[in-house]
Amino acid sequence: MTTSVTVRALTVRHRRTVALNTVDLDFRTGVHGLLGPNGAGKTSLIRVLATVAAPAAGRIELLGRDVGAHRERAAVRRALGYLPQEFGHYPGFTVREFVSYVAWLKEMPAARVPTAVERAVERVGLADRIDTKMKTLSGGMVRRAGIAQAIVNEPELLLLDEPTAGLDPEQRVEFRALLRDLGATSTVIVSTHLVEDVAAACQEVTLIESGRIAYRGTTAELTALGGEHGRDSDGNAIERGYTTALRAHRASLAEAAR
Amino acid sequence: MSATHGNPTPPHGNPTHRDGNPTPPHGNPTFPPLNPTPPPVNPTPRRGSPTPWHVTDAQAASYATGSAPETDAWSLEKHVESCGDCAARVSAAVRATTAGPELAAIRASILTAATTPRAVTGRLGELDARGGLRLSARGGVPHFAARASRLLWAAGPAVRGAWMVAVVLVGAAAVALAYGAGYGAARQALLAVAPVLPLAGVAVSYGRHADPMYEIGASTPSGGLRLLLTRTAAVLAVSVPLLTAAGAVLPGGSGGPGAAAWLLPGLALTLATLALGSFVGCRAAAGTLSTAWLLAVAGPVVGRPGTGSLPLAADLVRLLSGAAAQGAWAAGAVVCAGLLVLRRRSFDLMEPR
Repeated sequence: MTTSVTVRALTVRHRRTVALNTVDLDFRTGVHGLLGPNGAGKTSLIRVLATVAAPAAGRIELLGRDVGAHRERAAVRRALGYLPQEFGHYPGFTVREFVSYVAWLKEMPAARVPTAVERAVERVGLADRIDTKMKTLSGGMVRRAGIAQAIVNEPELLLLDEPTAGLDPEQRVEFRALLRDLGATSTVIVSTHLVEDVAAACQEVTLIESGRIAYRGTTAELTALGGEHGRDSDGNAIERGYTTALRAHRASLAEAAR
Repeated sequence: MSATHGNPTPPHGNPTHRDGNPTPPHGNPTFPPLNPTPPPVNPTPRRGSPTPWHVTDAQAASYATGSAPETDAWSLEKHVESCGDCAARVSAAVRATTAGPELAAIRASILTAATTPRAVTGRLGELDARGGLRLSARGGVPHFAARASRLLWAAGPAVRGAWMVAVVLVGAAAVALAYGAGYGAARQALLAVAPVLPLAGVAVSYGRHADPMYEIGASTPSGGLRLLLTRTAAVLAVSVPLLTAAGAVLPGGSGGPGAAAWLLPGLALTLATLALGSFVGCRAAAGTLSTAWLLAVAGPVVGRPGTGSLPLAADLVRLLSGAAAQGAWAAGAVVCAGLLVLRRRSFDLMEPR
């Protein structure tokens, strides 16, 4: 259980707006949920951790390497899996070609690629569609192909931005099982706005609001927080815990501002 | 489904059973005499659902007609995976609907296809080394050709799309103008357009606007400058021979620039696009530089209307002919290449929006 992601005083800006405000975070092996309202800064954090966006300030260490240096960054990227919130594909590619192409981009040894591609596609439940053209797949299947490209290199650090969007309930259940499986050996960071994804698959929760960390704890702790407060009509325990933690964070901010 | 959500209610979710009624659905007073299942028997008690239940005829019927609420349909689907009696009841209900004859026809055709001997329909080469079925039916295209085509796709999205068509059309149009219409300045026209075609190719090959897999690529060690250079090379590999060959078969006119005169300006402008693209993105850079080139070539013509094609030729001569002009383009190419080397790390991250 070594620390694979260390973030210190991270600030991310989009033009004038501050997406993340001096955030400190650590992630270890396991599945971590990134929860928060839309526009809270989840995607900004995932993009910076995926090394595709630059922070305005702060230090990021991934897998023991400082990603500010080019050589180190290339090494990190070989061990990285990333599913962007929105991603495209070349419509003429089959699922196999799509995943193989990303394996090639990730500089996997050519001899390992065919079996790794088949394994990744099988893990997301698309084995029967592996030679189907991407453009004929449904939205949920495209998303699963996206997950397959992210895990094809068995990444040490896996970043998934809203991976369950477009999946039907049964596929979500299967996907959460896959997440738990991946989290046994890798650091998996999943951004989602679905509290039940976190409840079912994540060991730890980080709650982000308006560019700041509102809450950190285990899933059990967040559930317990919801058990103490509120009534059954407010949803299940973890949903109440989410609301309680958010309100406590807002109250402390208001207190500090006074 | 519900069990994994930690939802304590039994999985039927039907509003008529939800109001704290502990009896299972088949205990519903409306249906007990009609229910063929013996009520107390539950062959597969499901984990996490303390009150066993079975699909009633009414539920099966509403599922079959598609009128069941979504949550009920999910519960039912999960249940019939493990309960043969209910599965049979739901199947019967579905067969009773209008979909019944259609399903029967599909079943029959699948059975026919599956029982036809493989030796008759199968072909040699359909099984690959892994023993799995492969799409060998792509007109018998050998495997390595498929691989090569993927590499081509990867190397240059431009090479497969509208850009390729545009390059061929420009070359063909110039030849047609010269020999079909007897237009004397066809080579000059081609030379005036040729240097911006690679720029257009770069613009449609790389970047957040052009490449659907841009963000995924940017997170990989091959992303960034390496991918951009690979794709630029693919664009040049197509456009240089095509356009130069087209220029060579055109009548040169008297004292006009040679067919290869556009090569250095084309290279310089391409490198300038990459260098400027490191600041503003490749599409904006290609647009800016193409416009600048076309204005430099055609601007004077627009300013002096009515003098025919001669000013175009004169401006091209000024821009392309002679050691001084070509030397300037070479120097420009070197400067842009140097700037690109200095800016190489900027492609490691996603380009500005």
